[in-house]
Amino acid sequence: SPAMELPPGHLPAARAAAVAVGYLRYLRGGPARGLELRELRRARRQDIDDVGHKYCLELELEDVLDKDSTVTCTAEVLYHLGSKSSAPDVQVTVQGELRSTEEADKEFYHRIRSLEKELVAENIPDSHGNVPPELEPIHLLAWAASGYITWQNSTENTKLHLAQVKHVRQVKRSDEDLQFDFVVLLHEMVSQEVLPWEVTVLWHPQHGARVSQCHAVGAGR
Amino acid sequence: RSREQTSSASSLLRLLLKTPIYCRHQVLRIKTKNEQEVKQLQLLESLEHLELDFWINPSAPALPVDVRIPAASVQSVKAFLESQGIEYSILIEDLQDILDKEKQEMDENAQRQRSSTFDFGAYHTLDDINAELDHLASEYSFVEKIQIGQSYEKRPLYVLKFSTGGSNRPAIWLDAGIHSREWVTQASALWIANKIASDYGTDASITSLLNKMDLFLLPVSNPDGFVYTHTSNRMWRKTRSKIPGSICVGVDPNRNWDAGFGGPGASNNPCSDSYHGPSANSEVEVKSVVDFIKNHGNFKAFLTLHSYSQLLMYPYGYKCTRPDDYAELESLGRAAASSIRSLYGTTFQVGTICKTIYQASGGSIDWSYDNGIKYSFAFELRDTGRYGFLLPASQIVPTAEETWLGLKKIMEHVRDKSS
Repeated sequence: SPAMELPPGHLPAARAAAVAVGYLRYLRGGPARGLELRELRRARRQDIDDVGHKYCLELELEDVLDKDSTVTCTAEVLYHLGSKSSAPDVQVTVQGELRSTEEADKEFYHRIRSLEKELVAENIPDSHGNVPPELEPIHLLAWAASGYITWQNSTENTKLHLAQVKHVRQVKRSDEDLQFDFVVLLHEMVSQEVLPWEVTVLWHPQHGARVSQCHAVGAGR
Repeated sequence: RSREQTSSASSLLRLLLKTPIYCRHQVLRIKTKNEQEVKQLQLLESLEHLELDFWINPSAPALPVDVRIPAASVQSVKAFLESQGIEYSILIEDLQDILDKEKQEMDENAQRQRSSTFDFGAYHTLDDINAELDHLASEYSFVEKIQIGQSYEKRPLYVLKFSTGGSNRPAIWLDAGIHSREWVTQASALWIANKIASDYGTDASITSLLNKMDLFLLPVSNPDGFVYTHTSNRMWRKTRSKIPGSICVGVDPNRNWDAGFGGPGASNNPCSDSYHGPSANSEVEVKSVVDFIKNHGNFKAFLTLHSYSQLLMYPYGYKCTRPDDYAELESLGRAAASSIRSLYGTTFQVGTICKTIYQASGGSIDWSYDNGIKYSFAFELRDTGRYGFLLPASQIVPTAEETWLGLKKIMEHVRDKSS
């Protein structure tokens, strides 16, 4: 069937946008860059028989560490029909350049590599929303990882956000990657549940962030 | 003894005795012209039965002598001085008067201190919030703290009533913190309360609003949940009521109202964060508000604060059809969102609950709207997910400031339509 224009402020478009942003945040985010949706400019939806629902989006994203740094993206989010176990397909095209994070990435990398004891922290942010400056990169890295979880676990009836980093433990590796084992709390907007997820993230200045494993913790309360 | 020591010693003494012991005591300043006069004063000093208290002792002609004289001795001392031709003037007519004024000023200062030490840009405990409600009520004659009920765990539900007179004037309802983890809402409500109270009389809009209407503000709608977010689980949302037959605790208070109760968008699983509860109004936190508003009978607006997502919504949530007053509510919502944006550029999406966030039954503004309160709006405040519920305290005041502009826009419209 033909594509239908959607009001950007309304929920089907907003949920699809959250998936696209989560995907991009994972791809392009890291300890020195957090991507956030500034504006959903346009949204269209197409119902494809026997396949699923495809959303075509025009988004403007900003770098939370440099709000003047924005990029425009077009994204396609395809939710597969009737499938709860299959992640939506996402394709994104980014126009424009984001501010380089090379310096900050190198600094973070060397700082962590030279720690004598493996980094351990919890409750980022704390109850009052505080993030100590030296933990901000960890927060952003977790945010990037949660983008992966959002992308992989979203349906048209869910909207996931990172609520808090409950716990993080660095695991020293013999190769060049940094490894962080996170327990993150994800807030699902529609059911309002806040659920813990375990996620292991590898990161390297040249290779970016990769989620090596993740799963929801336990079966709920 | 120095005057300061005497003054504070006497204040302390009076506090201890609780009697005005310096009533009609006078303090004289005596100007001696020569050594002879100084000697006369030193003679006076030696007369213990007069109980004179020299604040500045007689020592040299050039220096003034200050002396406190008990009421009984005033006449005789003055007679003596006059008979010796010694010049004097009255420094203090009645020492008790001065002390009384000083105490009053100290009390007022202490109260002002207490208010100016409440940091609106920080998150506070329930006790601190309640103390500030007391302070606002005591500082402003048109602000009253009333209790409309108590929570499941027996905590009082305190509402600030802003009323400059009249009898059961048309009223506006504003609540915050129905979902306890949404901390920026309780914090914003405190700032807004202080803003309204302190600007009445100087701000034209607030003044005309309160001259025509009453405002009722419930800053902590869910005190049990709020305490739980401080003591145990920062992410707690619901009430803390025990649910028969379940190990899980608490009901989503914004699924518990009698509006499409039990319909889509609420869970019947007690362990769910959107559990609607065993029946509509089963939660005392909800029932107390329902009863209060029904008994009052003259509410024109029902406004409720949530976080996060930056949304400004009107009914319905329990069904996806438009309310009868759709056009007016949409237009007013857009105007309010525009006001919000004017301050810091924060954008709010406007629409019905069902179209904007999700279908959700048993919500408060659906109930208020279906019960004749046309201007029913729900706000979702900052942010859009970067910090979510854990909004940094540094954003409390900016959030409150911009939210207030949106609320004001709505209230002004309600005021104009209600007169």
